[in-house]
Amino acid sequence: MDFAFTPDQLALAETVRDVLTEHCPPSALRTGRLPAWDRLAAVGFFGLLVPPEADGLGLGLVDALPALEETGRACLPGPVVETAVVAPYLLPGVPKLASGAVRVSVAPPGGAGAPDADLADLIVVASEDSSRNGNRGEARVVGREAARLRPVPGPDPCRRLSEVSYTESTPLDRPLAPALRAAAVATAAQLIGVARRLLDVSVAYARTRRQFGAPIGSFQAVKHRLADVAVGIAFAAPLVHRAALAVDAEAAVRDADRDVSAARAAVPDVGRDVSAAKAAASEAADLAARAALQTHGAIGYTEELDLRFWLARAWSLSAAYGGAAEHRARIREALAGGDLRRYP
Amino acid sequence: MVDLDFTRAELDFRAEVRGWLAEHVPDRLPSMDTPEGFEAHRAWEALLASARLSAVSWPEEYGGRGASLVEWLIFEEEYWAAGAPGRVSQNGIFLLAPTLMAFGTEEQRRAWLPGMARADQVWAQAWSEPEAGSDLAALTSRAERADGGWRLYGQKTWSSRAAYASHGFGLFRTSGARHKGLTYVMFPLEDVTVRPVAQLDGLPGFAELFFDGVYVPDAMVIGEPGDGWRIAMSATSSERGLTLRSPGRFLATADRLVALAREADPALADRAARCWSDAEAYRLHTFHTARRITAGEEIGPASSMGKVFWSELDLRMHGLAMELLGERAGATPWLDGFLFALAGPIYAGTNEIQRTIIAERVLGLPR
Repeated sequence: MDFAFTPDQLALAETVRDVLTEHCPPSALRTGRLPAWDRLAAVGFFGLLVPPEADGLGLGLVDALPALEETGRACLPGPVVETAVVAPYLLPGVPKLASGAVRVSVAPPGGAGAPDADLADLIVVASEDSSRNGNRGEARVVGREAARLRPVPGPDPCRRLSEVSYTESTPLDRPLAPALRAAAVATAAQLIGVARRLLDVSVAYARTRRQFGAPIGSFQAVKHRLADVAVGIAFAAPLVHRAALAVDAEAAVRDADRDVSAARAAVPDVGRDVSAAKAAASEAADLAARAALQTHGAIGYTEELDLRFWLARAWSLSAAYGGAAEHRARIREALAGGDLRRYP
Repeated sequence: MVDLDFTRAELDFRAEVRGWLAEHVPDRLPSMDTPEGFEAHRAWEALLASARLSAVSWPEEYGGRGASLVEWLIFEEEYWAAGAPGRVSQNGIFLLAPTLMAFGTEEQRRAWLPGMARADQVWAQAWSEPEAGSDLAALTSRAERADGGWRLYGQKTWSSRAAYASHGFGLFRTSGARHKGLTYVMFPLEDVTVRPVAQLDGLPGFAELFFDGVYVPDAMVIGEPGDGWRIAMSATSSERGLTLRSPGRFLATADRLVALAREADPALADRAARCWSDAEAYRLHTFHTARRITAGEEIGPASSMGKVFWSELDLRMHGLAMELLGERAGATPWLDGFLFALAGPIYAGTNEIQRTIIAERVLGLPR
């Protein structure tokens, strides 16, 4: 039993963090739609999960998890999860995916729209009749030139949503559900990064902003609110980590062509673990956003302060690939079956 | 590669513990806060000790079996899943023993640990005083130098298990300095005036202690005189964090809660599901913490996050069970569990104190 990120996984995150610190500062969020995309591509970020035969590294979701958290911390715009995580599951053979030269967006079943579809070369559209847990869901892939996009208003100015209609499309032969589970976990990792950043800037502000002759961070009402954010993050992050391991363990069993019962024995219910991660990360980020705004007061309520980018990202990602309430209901349904076995 | 698998030895250990408990766990014992229940719980501890299961993480020479931290977590999961009795020796084995291991002398360890493992002695903790609760360093009970030892004066309160225990331990003032004037002392309860105090359930789960010159030899002092605060804080961080509340009991409660809520309205069942995954979160967080401790890291003030989380989770779980059962809860173990859970955010440092520690010492907010 050794439940911790490996030095390699953390080193990868460090690399991504350095790239984003330099090339995706808050000012870049106001001027471009895809800051740092090419720089991340240059360090191999978009090939992490792509199989080696398609020029990728063939790593597991867990290997990319701390790096994905960094993309959330930096509020990195663009279809990051869709290109770096979903596409390797559904479109592993697409040329130039690993190099980041092909961008992919996803219109998930039940979602408000496809994020940054106007910046994508390929759009995965889940069919309307997808079952709730996605197990029987089908998806089609649409080329950008065959897609007609209708902008849909969303909460996040750096994550523009579109409704997608199309004239021609290709059915995908790979199962949609595992890709959507990976997307939920990757988004949960981004939410942890968003929440950590929101907590960091709130603590920094509370240390310097003075009222009544003292830093507001010396007041217990402020302290305890921020302490709750720290607790929320501390106990959401391990669920996200475990869900990534569960997704990878299930994929390993599936790839080895072993039967369903072997997968069930290895990971009793991967969907349940994924839902636990997404629900907890969504709630931790929502709490962090709420606390950050309250700590900053009126200045936090302005367009001018960079804080608003992270607030919007917390709101958009907490809903993306299923919000907390939807995932809590899935956990309840999974437990109602009576299988309370745990992974690991 | 991350290794989530348990080793062969860990799996064998789990199987042994599960098998032994399946054979030996008694039907529900009377409350440990009654004379007959106290003796029944002591007898249970002695039976556990006979299988070297009462303090598995201790070295063998003191009655344990040198189990690793992960094995201890496995033991706890099995213990609470089996519905085994509450631990009457808890204050001793989880609070005093780690203190003796870290700060005691070899003579003290040999003198007290084997008996503690068998519950020959049961230990009460004696921290709070009438005017020193959350502000523990304001305590005024004192130890005065006497021939070859110390005489204890003053009053302690909310002393868990003291109504029936044989011994106690706590902090006493040996000089005026607020923190550096405190000394960590063990004492027999036979010369102390004990006034049992009934708790919410009507039973004397704690007591007031009155010291009127009780003599203890030097061998009953842990560490140096004046070093008591540092030693006690080290112990309470283990109380807040790992050793007092392993995930096992919350996992067992969460499983029972999900079963209880299975036929309930989906809104209530959703809350049960949430508790279940929160218990999972505590388990996974603890595996990570165990790894850090094993690697020699200090957990320090971050242990306060665990204390806030488990105590409030425990209360949410039992509160939901009370909602599900209504007054019928009185005929089930859930009512006692609820009353016990209500104490969680108060003892071992209130959750207000914990949140202040998190804010100041983890996040770095100003005092």
